[in-house]
Amino acid sequence: MSSITWHYVLKFIITGDAAVGKSSLLIRLTDQRFLTNPDPTLGVEFGSKLISIPDEDKIIKLQCWDTAGTESFRSITRSYYRGAAGCLLVYDVTNRKSFVNTKSWLADVREHADPHLTCILVGNKVDLCDETQDAPAKPRQVSTEEAASFAQQEGILFVEASAKSGVNVELAFVEAAQDILQKIKNGVFDDSRSPGVKLSNQPNPNSLTLEQTSSKNNTCCS
Amino acid sequence: MEFFSQTYVALRGPQGQPQTASETIGRLSDRLSPATLLADRRAAVLALKGLSRDHKQDVGDRALAGLLDVLASDAEIDSDIGKAVLETLIVLCEVDPANKELGFKYTDIVLATEKTVHTLFTLLGDNSFYTRFSTIEYLAILLQNRRQVVQSYFLKAPAGTRNVIAILEDKREIIRNEALTMVQTLVAQSPDIQKVLTFEGAFEKLFNIVTQEGGIEGGVVSQGALTCVDALLRFNTSNQSYFKETQLPPALCSLLLYPYTLPLHEPAPQEFALQFWDDQKAVNAGLVVGILGMLIGTKGSASQEASGYIRCLVEIGLASNAPVRLKTQSLRLLPANMNFPLSEIVVTPYMPVPETNGEEWDRLEPASALDALVELALHGEYNGLDSAKRLKNGLELRAAASTVFENFVHSDEIRHAIIQAMLPVEASAPAPPVTPLLHALASPLDTSSVDLAQISSTHFACLLFAHLLRSSPRAKLSARLIKPGPLHPQQSASAGQFFVPADGASPLAATQAEPDDDEPPQTLLQILSENLSLVLLARSRPDASDGENREWDRVVVGYLSLLSQWLWEDPKSVRDFLDSGGLGTLVEPVNQISESDVLIPSLCAFLLGICYEFNREPGEITRSTIHQIINRLGIDNLVAQISRLREDDRFRAIGPDSIVQASPLVAKPGLPAPKQPSQEEVEIWFDWAFVDFWKSNYYTVQRALPTDPNQLSTSAGQNPETAMLVASLREVIRKQAEEIESLQKRLKEQSTQPNEVPQLQKQVTELTAQVSDSAERQKDLEKEQEDLLVLLDEVSAKRKRDKARLKEAGLEVSEDEADDDEDDDE
Repeated sequence: MSSITWHYVLKFIITGDAAVGKSSLLIRLTDQRFLTNPDPTLGVEFGSKLISIPDEDKIIKLQCWDTAGTESFRSITRSYYRGAAGCLLVYDVTNRKSFVNTKSWLADVREHADPHLTCILVGNKVDLCDETQDAPAKPRQVSTEEAASFAQQEGILFVEASAKSGVNVELAFVEAAQDILQKIKNGVFDDSRSPGVKLSNQPNPNSLTLEQTSSKNNTCCS
Repeated sequence: MEFFSQTYVALRGPQGQPQTASETIGRLSDRLSPATLLADRRAAVLALKGLSRDHKQDVGDRALAGLLDVLASDAEIDSDIGKAVLETLIVLCEVDPANKELGFKYTDIVLATEKTVHTLFTLLGDNSFYTRFSTIEYLAILLQNRRQVVQSYFLKAPAGTRNVIAILEDKREIIRNEALTMVQTLVAQSPDIQKVLTFEGAFEKLFNIVTQEGGIEGGVVSQGALTCVDALLRFNTSNQSYFKETQLPPALCSLLLYPYTLPLHEPAPQEFALQFWDDQKAVNAGLVVGILGMLIGTKGSASQEASGYIRCLVEIGLASNAPVRLKTQSLRLLPANMNFPLSEIVVTPYMPVPETNGEEWDRLEPASALDALVELALHGEYNGLDSAKRLKNGLELRAAASTVFENFVHSDEIRHAIIQAMLPVEASAPAPPVTPLLHALASPLDTSSVDLAQISSTHFACLLFAHLLRSSPRAKLSARLIKPGPLHPQQSASAGQFFVPADGASPLAATQAEPDDDEPPQTLLQILSENLSLVLLARSRPDASDGENREWDRVVVGYLSLLSQWLWEDPKSVRDFLDSGGLGTLVEPVNQISESDVLIPSLCAFLLGICYEFNREPGEITRSTIHQIINRLGIDNLVAQISRLREDDRFRAIGPDSIVQASPLVAKPGLPAPKQPSQEEVEIWFDWAFVDFWKSNYYTVQRALPTDPNQLSTSAGQNPETAMLVASLREVIRKQAEEIESLQKRLKEQSTQPNEVPQLQKQVTELTAQVSDSAERQKDLEKEQEDLLVLLDEVSAKRKRDKARLKEAGLEVSEDEADDDEDDDE
């Protein structure tokens, strides 16, 4: 019986405009399902998931705080930036405005968050651009190239995903987590100082989590 | 010195004449302006602080704005002025009982903008003791006065959460303890603040405090921290899911000294079961238990973690020396849809050694948790040590145990298994040993004197047994067959088998004589009807006191409630009851309703109605017989009697969670005043399940009374056979539905290859086209061949002719060809 269920706990926040699919991304990650008609998030909701990074042979516990995109909650959600190690900055590829706004979201994050925070730009809803029999494709308003070059310019990671089909959702978290692990290796994060990273040092007596761990090992798609 | 001279000058005034306070305050307020020196401002604040107690209104009206400015600009730089200004503000905003308006007024002024609150939350980060301490104190006061305003400002305060977490970690205990109080108010009813503090690691900090203080033994500080944890979790699903992900829930169990990972078959450790308790510890443990209950509630009882918590609560409730209130709380928090294997868990109950003041305990025989639960309900804590006294805590614990039992037997399977255990294995085999429940239920009461302990246990046995039978035709069918073996004293000892025999037998021993005479063992229903009539007799004795009568009434109520629920919709049981003389027993109390209790005639009338309505089996006492009796008693009278139950407080006051009620002995004129019960004495009459049952069915009974004896049942009464028939038909339907489903699935699978058919059709058409094509071609060829044959024929005929002509002409003609031709011709 292995006594370690996870090596690191990483705190993530998910942020971006309202209705770009932040909560759906989280539900897709934690529950492997898709909400067709989610209610708008009020304040902040919590979800967590164990992922494994095979390259590093590490198991990571992601604690994700899914924030509200609505403006009225902005002051509340800001309180969460400081303690996070990673941030998913989400926009909707069929909504240009949500992409344009990522700039101000990013500025907000940079202002309040830990300077070493890893940010990944996530273009959500790519499924809408595929033509299907029951729905015509919705025009894509943000090209992959444009978003990629914006991300490069800002020095953040980038991926396009779909909470509905599940494509690249876990990848987004894994990539961000990998980046954070790299930073930890390089000694950027001082364990005692950074609130977003916690190292496991005591064995976890919770046997149920153990089982989960072993079953999750093979689900990683990176 | 400077301070004194400054103050003196201020007080004396320039002219050296005495001044009024308000003038002085005005002058001091002027000095608060940033234009003056810091030292001057400090002196002015100190002076104002001195004056604020006696001249609150003057100081507040004139100096509040200036004080707030000083707070914003100077407090961070100079901790002395910070302390003074905070203390002054505290005095101004504190709501004193004499003049409530003023405190609220100044609080509102302070909270008019978010600025001051933001300053205060920044000041929390100040490391100077007094600044930090006074800031916490002041925030606590503001929160107390106008919580929601402060909460909304807090969410926008830049360093708010960080600093709140920081004060929870402060090494200085006074600050930390003050912080706990403040945080409790801060998080109240604000999910957003609860979440943001959780995000910043509040749970971990709070648990650190609890651990540092020594767990639940940590007095009020632990209480404060646990209250905060509770406040962060309650009604906040997001935080609950966070909390469950952490390693803190197991830590909760270990606070109670319960090993969270304890395997099901291992007994709980003794250091958990036997602890020294004081009031404060009980309060702290109560908070932990409350949080555990919350976690169970949100998890559903299926998960593995939850069963750990459930076990912990079960152990506290059934096999520990925890205070009664804690036990009751634990049992009440067990989930209603509990599918926890109570009968498989073995618990080890303890008994206090007499006269050791709870310091020494005897370990008793291990028993299944289910047995211990039933025992607890029947006899109370520690095998009925105090069950003769009707103390509030004790009865509430037993009522909670009864509710747990009700929830546990919710499934028909479990009911059936329990009742089966009371029946002989085969028809001819002797009855199995009498279970404690059956024993308590069937033992006739000693009607010569009132034994409170025995009455309580009979009453609780009725409640428990009713849980087994209620609306379960199958359970009723089996229960009819129960024939309790002889209720010998030694068996009563084995009934309380895991308890010290010396305690178990005494209340029951005296009452064993009479059932022995009956040669064929009586059925349970017969015994109950006999016991009922005995108690009714005892109750009508003229020399019985009021208090005694009340006790007999209670037992009668218990029997009648059980019988009502048993006989409802069960004609066979009705038949058994009538055959054992139940009718006469019921008629008597209804007939003489003078001064006696309202409850008994009403319940008798109700049961009589049930007997009439469900008397559908052929037998000696027909519906017509009962109908005559009903007519003689008066239908209107009976209907009214039944309704009167609703008016009785003992019935009305029952709620799902409150069945224990104070016992105000009814003082009746002309009778000696009953012995005044102590404050804590309480009693139980009904449980919620019966009240619920009665309310949903009394109308049916009232309507059934006037119906003609030959009329068919008005309610959809089902006897057990039809019920079983229905059940088996249902089973058939279910199986068929499953079959249909599987067939449909197969059909769907078949139809999922729809491409094949058109493909094949296409192929077929293609092939037919090919076939017809080639047939045509073949025809053409045949025709051509025929033509050619004709041509050949013609040619060969011509040749013959030509040959003949050539011959005639005398030319040489090759024979071969001629031969050939001949061959051809042939």
